[in-house]
Amino acid sequence: MNKTNISSKKKILIVDDSELNRSLLSDMLADDFDIIEAENGVQAVVTLQEHELDISLMLLDIVMPEMDGFDVLAMMNKRGWIKTIPVIMISAETGSSYIDRAYDLGAVDYISRPFDERTVKHRVMSNFMLALKQKELSDMLSAEIYEREHDNRLMVEILSHIVEFRNGESGLHILHVSTFTDMILKRLLKITDKYKLTQADINTIVNASALHDIGKMSVPESILNKPGRLTKEEFEIMKLHTVEGEKLLNNIPYRSSETLITVACEICRWHHERYNGNGYPDGLMGDAIPISAQAVALADVYDALTSKRVYKDSFTHEKAVEMIQNGECGAFNPLLLKCLTDIQAELKKELKETSYGRDIDKKVGENVESMLKKSGSDVSERTIRLLEHERMKYRFFAGLSHEVMFEYVPEPEMIILSEWGAEYLGLPERIVDPAKSDLGTRVFSKVDFNRMMTHMRATTPENPRIEDKFLLTINGERRWNRIIVQTLWSGDENPEFDGALGKFVDVNDETQEMQQLEQKADYDSLTGLMNHAAAKRKITKLLSDAGGRKYALLFFDLDNLKTANDVYGHLFGDKLLKEVAARMMKNTRSSDICARMGGDEFIIFMEYKESLEHQVARIFKCLTKPLDDFNVSVSMGVARAEHYCGDYDTLFHMADQAAYAVKYGGKNSYKFYSNTDADQVDKQ
Amino acid sequence: MDIKECYAKMGGNYDDVMSRLRTDERIKKFLLKVAEDKSFDNLCDAMSVHNIEEAFRAAHTLKGVCSNLSITRMYETASAMTEALRGKTEFSDEWLPLLEKLKTDYANTVECIRAID
Repeated sequence: MNKTNISSKKKILIVDDSELNRSLLSDMLADDFDIIEAENGVQAVVTLQEHELDISLMLLDIVMPEMDGFDVLAMMNKRGWIKTIPVIMISAETGSSYIDRAYDLGAVDYISRPFDERTVKHRVMSNFMLALKQKELSDMLSAEIYEREHDNRLMVEILSHIVEFRNGESGLHILHVSTFTDMILKRLLKITDKYKLTQADINTIVNASALHDIGKMSVPESILNKPGRLTKEEFEIMKLHTVEGEKLLNNIPYRSSETLITVACEICRWHHERYNGNGYPDGLMGDAIPISAQAVALADVYDALTSKRVYKDSFTHEKAVEMIQNGECGAFNPLLLKCLTDIQAELKKELKETSYGRDIDKKVGENVESMLKKSGSDVSERTIRLLEHERMKYRFFAGLSHEVMFEYVPEPEMIILSEWGAEYLGLPERIVDPAKSDLGTRVFSKVDFNRMMTHMRATTPENPRIEDKFLLTINGERRWNRIIVQTLWSGDENPEFDGALGKFVDVNDETQEMQQLEQKADYDSLTGLMNHAAAKRKITKLLSDAGGRKYALLFFDLDNLKTANDVYGHLFGDKLLKEVAARMMKNTRSSDICARMGGDEFIIFMEYKESLEHQVARIFKCLTKPLDDFNVSVSMGVARAEHYCGDYDTLFHMADQAAYAVKYGGKNSYKFYSNTDADQVDKQ
Repeated sequence: MDIKECYAKMGGNYDDVMSRLRTDERIKKFLLKVAEDKSFDNLCDAMSVHNIEEAFRAAHTLKGVCSNLSITRMYETASAMTEALRGKTEFSDEWLPLLEKLKTDYANTVECIRAID
């Protein structure tokens, strides 16, 4: 045990449901480590989620509530944590089946109770040192792979540049061909498994593609750079660059069996073959031509067409694709032609953007990544640093913006709020099982929260964005918020849902303003009642959702508004209208609808249970009470929506007809619509 | 009463705990925690409502606590209780005498611990 090897204290996670056991262990280890405690499996997973990169070792009990130790191990396997965090099991269970199961799940050691201070310290320290060494080695390895890969790539680039220089080509040709080959093959991998390609194969082909014209070293410069048409003899010499290239590579001592060389040989020899058998040097047909050479040939032709050469000008992307598809420039595998069509948009973009340094780095990055995957160590120090950097960036911006930002983790299901967001909402930063938490039941209504989650699950990698407006309850206050969510997907060939990021934008003030404007447009300015258009809209909706409910429409006009205006003046006329509106509001429920149609015409739309007659009589009586000695007189028609399933207009027409009948029957009364009214009206 | 006398009185193994935890001070600190530990209460509660799974966990935890502090007498009863409950789904009256014994041990143990100076 050598403490000087540890510069700063490393973190240990102790998971045990007994507080006493945790503090006993913590007491023994506190001198050498920082201790984080968790009292059940769920807490342990949540802590791992948060501190994944900092935790050096974990002590894990087996028998616990919520999630037991085996469940935690299973989750660690699923999330890949088990590869980087050594786990020592602790338990009074000494049955060998328990121990075996823990080892099978990736635990590195086992300490049984009762704890002995020396044993605990020793086991923890030695496992910790072992993991540390392992990590150092894997970091060294990945750094070395990175260097080597970088050098290799650079050598290939230099070599192909020499060739290009001699050909008098643009200098970007090799780069373009590799990039296009990469894009074509990646697309091919998506649409078919006919060629048994792996990502690693594609990397090799892309690398080797840089050497496709290396045989041109053997072609005299006078032919290579001749501006006019080549003679038949000259062309025969030119054609030899294919076989010469292969020969050149094959003659590299001791290296002929390297995959890169084998693939480069295929490409050199056959990148001028044609799918219909009319190419050179061997006249191979169809898939007798290796897919590597087929892809490079297509990329080569596309780039040749879109670039300027001594003997031709450049064509546009569209023209080049058209010429290739029409068979004007060679003959290609229909599957590859489909790839070309599929990736058109990206190709066009790439054609504009490709620059040198960026490309080397991207390729080296990809190669290192695939090599590391093969060798099994997947978190290098470099990756961790990058991740940490990203997190700092995220926290910094999240802290500045004063918006609620969040991250959704699907397994174990939780929502992580930004620091500011958690404080603003009055919730913890980490919310496990969000649908049942305060967030999913109080801040959101349950229905809204479910709606958001359903929408989120319905997104796709192509369409990962959702936006929706919700009325949230934040610290007791109801506020409209727009929620924007971007779902995340794993970056491989078959993307899987991998969580989401999102933020809340408070749109309460603008929403309220909008609602106020809407309200203004919906209401009559004199009486404050709804106007006809708004009433019609609401009533239509109520009628369509009526179910078993019974509704009636009361339509009336004032018999003597004109007299009121003439005798008492317009101010009194306005007063009368306002008074009628007030009486309407006072004698109906808030769920009923009262509206001024315009002029002296009004409607009331209301629900009734048993005796509509009684309700109507009461309303009529109240409406017709005198106002300052003025006798208010109304003619009212009533139509029931019961037994009828028409639209608002029909209902309105019925009430109108009944009111009409009252008008012509002596005014100041009310009448229920019946079919005979219609006849009467027709007779008038 | 000092730690050693306490161990003698509550049926524990002082030499064993001393060899593992190394100092009287630490032993005392954790003995006092035993008196506050909720496992025993949890066990009694779970037994009274016939929640066997929870009772098993509580007995198991209590056993671990006793084992760590070498409180041998209570450890053996808690251990017997744990084994009696392990994997069971139907409540049985046969467990009640064992529970009574554990209650006596617990009361005795806590009394001894509280008597430490």
